[in-house]
Amino acid sequence: MAEQAASLRFIDATERGLTRLRAVHPLAPWLVAFLLLAPLPWVLLNTYHVFLANFICVMILLSVGLNIVKGFCGQVTVGHVGLYAIGAYTAAVMSVNFGMTFWMSLPIAVMVTLLAGAVVGIPSFRLEGAYLALVTLGLGESVRIFISATEYLGATNGFSGIPAPRIGDFRFDTYQKYYYLVMPVMLLGVFFSFRILRSRLGRGFMAVREDPVAAAAAGVNVRGHKMIAFLISAGYAGFAGALYAHMIPGYLNPRNFTVIEMVTLLLMVVLGGLGHIWGGVIGAIIVTIVYDITKDYYHYSLLLFGSVIVLTVLFMPKGIGGIIDRFIATRRFIAIREGRATRPGSDDAA
Amino acid sequence: MLLRTENLSKHFGGLRAVDGIDFELEEGEVRGLIGPNGSGKSTFFNLVSGIYRPDEGSRIRIGGQDTTHFEPHRIAALGVARTFQLLRVFSEMTVLENLLVGHHLHVAYGPVAAVLGTRRMRNEERRVREEMMELLAFIGLADFAAMLASELSVGQRRLLALGRAMAMRPRLLMLDEPAAGLSPVNVDNLLRIIVGLKERYGLTVIIVEHILRVVMDTCEKVTVLDHGQKIAEGTPDEVKTDHAVIEAYLGREMEDDEVRRVLQG
Repeated sequence: MAEQAASLRFIDATERGLTRLRAVHPLAPWLVAFLLLAPLPWVLLNTYHVFLANFICVMILLSVGLNIVKGFCGQVTVGHVGLYAIGAYTAAVMSVNFGMTFWMSLPIAVMVTLLAGAVVGIPSFRLEGAYLALVTLGLGESVRIFISATEYLGATNGFSGIPAPRIGDFRFDTYQKYYYLVMPVMLLGVFFSFRILRSRLGRGFMAVREDPVAAAAAGVNVRGHKMIAFLISAGYAGFAGALYAHMIPGYLNPRNFTVIEMVTLLLMVVLGGLGHIWGGVIGAIIVTIVYDITKDYYHYSLLLFGSVIVLTVLFMPKGIGGIIDRFIATRRFIAIREGRATRPGSDDAA
Repeated sequence: MLLRTENLSKHFGGLRAVDGIDFELEEGEVRGLIGPNGSGKSTFFNLVSGIYRPDEGSRIRIGGQDTTHFEPHRIAALGVARTFQLLRVFSEMTVLENLLVGHHLHVAYGPVAAVLGTRRMRNEERRVREEMMELLAFIGLADFAAMLASELSVGQRRLLALGRAMAMRPRLLMLDEPAAGLSPVNVDNLLRIIVGLKERYGLTVIIVEHILRVVMDTCEKVTVLDHGQKIAEGTPDEVKTDHAVIEAYLGREMEDDEVRRVLQG
């Protein structure tokens, strides 16, 4: 009982805090999040951990994007790593071979990835479920194979010498500095996904996922929504790719874009909670850390992550995000039943 | 003329599910569409709402516009709302969100405004949420607004499906077996809601229904289908005594009083 009361108090306090913050300004919670995340490179003593923080930010961008198309719009795409690779290699080629700065190579990488995203999105007009998964898997893998076979892109030796971004004389050439580039972008990305998913567009995505026929009958342009979802997720992959490419040591290798990475990425979204607004974020943090801890057993990671996906789907289909939701809902139900009524769930509290 | 079909046909392989139906519906009418199982009622609905593509030579006009080859969302944009026999509510969305999706076409802001969180977008979002809560109160589901649709009972889901169609602010409401599986009390309740909606919003309604009482009590005019063809049309009383209708429903060999008993049950 005491524990329940405590957890309920914590949830309520968090909610009240958020509500109060939002009353000050709608963006205030995001500012607080930024201020909380800002000192991280000083808290983490080990440079390797700072690298990991950067990498997690990139992964969050990727998985939040994937969650939009897969979790919210319900399109089973398994080619997301291919888009990520396209973003990374475009940025690399633009900056190394064409001498562009990061501020030019980034938007170009995003645009090229958007185009690729449209190509991945078109099959979704006709295919569903496993068939769409197969086609997207093929597209994604063919990107990696194309890179491995192309001398211009460094083939299997990898692509090196990608310069760190700079503003004037300031270069983002350590992990500590790069963090202040990648963290704000990550935060913006999460913020955008919140805004999009809680709007008319996000509801349209969910309707397409739940029942395309009923969605269409309600006036939702199903193809249009599928395409927009693919484009948005591709945009995220483009950002993630370009940020990854320019991060020191500025080196890309097709081995970083294999099926194992794809499974890892899927696990992030599934474990975090498909269609849960925090799903991609929670999943990316947990899985990246576990991935890092188990790095010595890289060749078994497919086994590990694959079986965790299966177990997650079987035993907690809504992922960690769903469990948190359920926890909050149950606590509140108990509270209401016992007469300690709190406000009924405002859905943007979590 | 709100809805007119000419020679509307649809075949699946060798089966002529809908076979040359000419159908006219006046603004403000409440029309019943009845017929035995497999007579083409649902196919007719799917054709009008754009979910099926009609065969060559068919024509559908809604509000004077040729919609024969329109996609469903464009037909919805003309003010045609429908419910489904199997409901098709959005299970993993909340009750309120289900209605908000129904209201999709009337939410006036784009993705950019959503991302920027403009004042206009916030006001619009507040407005539609308030309106949808009112509608939920009208159909009696306001207390369930934050629950997932999958957590509702079948009867409540039926109301939700009706609410989602009403959220579209339609001119033409097409109800596919709205009373199926409801207890008699709930049927009365549903009838009250449908009549209330019609009077409040001046709707035109088509009801497909197996429970004849629903059709006989609410509709001014009834169209009867059998084997994909229109076999009768008229007031409920005319149709009730029509020979072709009785044959279609009950087979050939029935006595008059027996027929009456079945029709009234």
